[in-house]
Amino acid sequence: MNSAQIEIQLIASLVAIACAIPGTFLVLRKMALISDAISHSILPGLVIGFFITNDLSSPLLIVMAALSGVITVVLVEFIQKTKLVKEDTAIGLVFPAMFSIGVLLISKYANDIHLDTDAVLVGDLTLAPYDRIFINGLDFGPKSLWVIGIILLITLSLLIAFFKELKISTFDAGLATALGFSPAVLHYGLMSVASVTTVGAFDAVGAILVVALMIAPAAIAYLLTEDLKKMLFLSIFFGVFSAISGYWLSHWLNASISGSITTILGLVFLLVYLFAPKKGLISVSYRNKQQKIEVSLLTFLLHLNNHTEERERHINHLNEHINWQKVKSKSVVDLALRNNMITLSGNIISLTEKGKSFTDKAIDYIITNDDSEIESMKEDFFLFRG
Amino acid sequence: MGTAILGAICGMLGSFAVLRKQSLLGDAISHAALPGIAISFLITGTKETNVLLIGALISGLIGAFWIRGITRKTHLKTDTALGLILSVFFGFGMLLLTYIQKQPYANQSGLDKFLFGQAATLLERDVWFMAVVTFICFIVLLLFWKEFKILLFDADYAKTLGFNVKAIDVIITSFIVVAIVLGLQTVGVVLMSAMLLAPAAAARQWTNSLGIMVVLAAVFGATSGVVGTAISASQNNLSTGPVIVLVAAIFVVFSFIFSPSRGLLFRQIRFIQNRKDLELHKTLAFMFEIAKNHKNISHPHTVKILNNFHGFTKKSLNKLENKEYININGKMWSMTEKGYHFAANLYNQQVEDNE
Repeated sequence: MNSAQIEIQLIASLVAIACAIPGTFLVLRKMALISDAISHSILPGLVIGFFITNDLSSPLLIVMAALSGVITVVLVEFIQKTKLVKEDTAIGLVFPAMFSIGVLLISKYANDIHLDTDAVLVGDLTLAPYDRIFINGLDFGPKSLWVIGIILLITLSLLIAFFKELKISTFDAGLATALGFSPAVLHYGLMSVASVTTVGAFDAVGAILVVALMIAPAAIAYLLTEDLKKMLFLSIFFGVFSAISGYWLSHWLNASISGSITTILGLVFLLVYLFAPKKGLISVSYRNKQQKIEVSLLTFLLHLNNHTEERERHINHLNEHINWQKVKSKSVVDLALRNNMITLSGNIISLTEKGKSFTDKAIDYIITNDDSEIESMKEDFFLFRG
Repeated sequence: MGTAILGAICGMLGSFAVLRKQSLLGDAISHAALPGIAISFLITGTKETNVLLIGALISGLIGAFWIRGITRKTHLKTDTALGLILSVFFGFGMLLLTYIQKQPYANQSGLDKFLFGQAATLLERDVWFMAVVTFICFIVLLLFWKEFKILLFDADYAKTLGFNVKAIDVIITSFIVVAIVLGLQTVGVVLMSAMLLAPAAAARQWTNSLGIMVVLAAVFGATSGVVGTAISASQNNLSTGPVIVLVAAIFVVFSFIFSPSRGLLFRQIRFIQNRKDLELHKTLAFMFEIAKNHKNISHPHTVKILNNFHGFTKKSLNKLENKEYININGKMWSMTEKGYHFAANLYNQQVEDNE
């Protein structure tokens, strides 16, 4: 590992952290797509900034780009307020238009400069270490490292300063207003941070990776926890993890770094999506199946409770009467037996005392819909939890 | 010609996307199509457009259905799912593209034209292909019109009627994916979503009927296709895609402002109108209060009495006279029979409203 490699990984990790923080709030506020809109619509700001300064590295470019990001947000909100279209349509209308303006400006007036649209969309981290800051001939490290470092510092201090306010306004906007925080100020503050981060990050990693780094770690973390602080730390962790492993993947494949980082993020999400302990696809499906069986069990027990005649309680009769498949009936009967709710003598099923009281409680619950009735049953069954 | 057809089909299908609140699905899918293009190139090694488009179609569909899966099975919201799929698929596509570019083939360049699209590269064959697909979509749309419509506005009702909601849903989504994949070549990944949305959003402002909306959106889409192509052809260095999108955006802005029933302009005019009416009614009600105290309702009063009441102007008095609610005679005014009744009813209505 040479120093350029370390620097690339450092930049990627810093970008990941800087993106993960606003990203978490965007995901929680259901505004994830705003980041996509911002990342596209900063283009005209960049181009105009370039026209003014004629210098690609001037800080004015970043300011202009962030400004056009904020303008996008304002426009989206304005269109939404007219109630003519829904929010997502508003986003979908604004950012392609902004992006088109940017592309046209470039292709019309700035064809010969190095600001080409591919670079904007995809970015190139490999070159980042070669764009260095020299002060009095001393090497102060890569420029993008400084840019993103400063942005990260600002974001972090804002986060720490306004954590409580952000938290309340994210989860209960009404309460936040009642407590006297202005939701608008927080909203636009968050949007500005998101814009600035996008701009700062995108010349290192490209617009699409910014979106991926904002949304994906937060989404992964959200599947794993419901605690805001944990979610922040987890998304930072996943962001940094994919940044570094993505770098090595790209090193190995000799392909684009931002593409590899995004791919790693996608893979991690896929894994978490499938295997997350509570929210994962597999555990959700398992729980659904479990609940299905329990509902069947209830139906079965109720049926037994209603019929005292032996004919109705014959095991074969149940098959036809409740219209279940053989396999399903068997699993339900097994479950009931395991819980000592029924006894089998020959092929005749009868309820035990425990089964009877369980059924009565269940009926009570269905009738009254009162939680206290089923406290004692919660231990055994998924169905009644939550 | 090609862009006109593209605009038409996008407008048609876009109406559904907009009404189903899936506006940004188009954006996500158009990005998700990229890895498909790269993979089909890796497998076949050709740059045959149709082969690449099939790859794009497959990966677009995978993206679309994964989005559905995420929103159904987890508590992540649609926007997160869209953004996630969009960026992850696109990143993966970029990874593959850069990987391809470093492979020792000679013919790998040109894949990235899918990023921004170039209408000029359209061949006659492609146009025919698009026309055929559009036609098929159109036929299916007509055949299942009723089902689509019910699903769109009342999915639960459709379910109770016994329609296979899932299947219809899949058909619509697949059509949107098809339209997007067709458009990739022309306007490119980024601007595709605008092609889908803008005509539909513009058409929505003019009508409340689904049928008219679909037709209008198709017309808007086709027009912006033609106009955009014409503008970009007339100038150097103007790429087609962005111009088309901007033309479509102008349509949208125009519709937002000038549409008769929903437009901002007319809404403002109606608003002012209402306010004026209210002022008139207020003046009239005040006069009524005065006139009520006299046996003869047409007993004349001086205009000066009204000075306590600030809501009147000469103009509003004249207006009231034009409506024959009052008579004005020099500096005196008196209520007419008609005005009295109107004001009395006005008052009654207000009482009822307050209760």
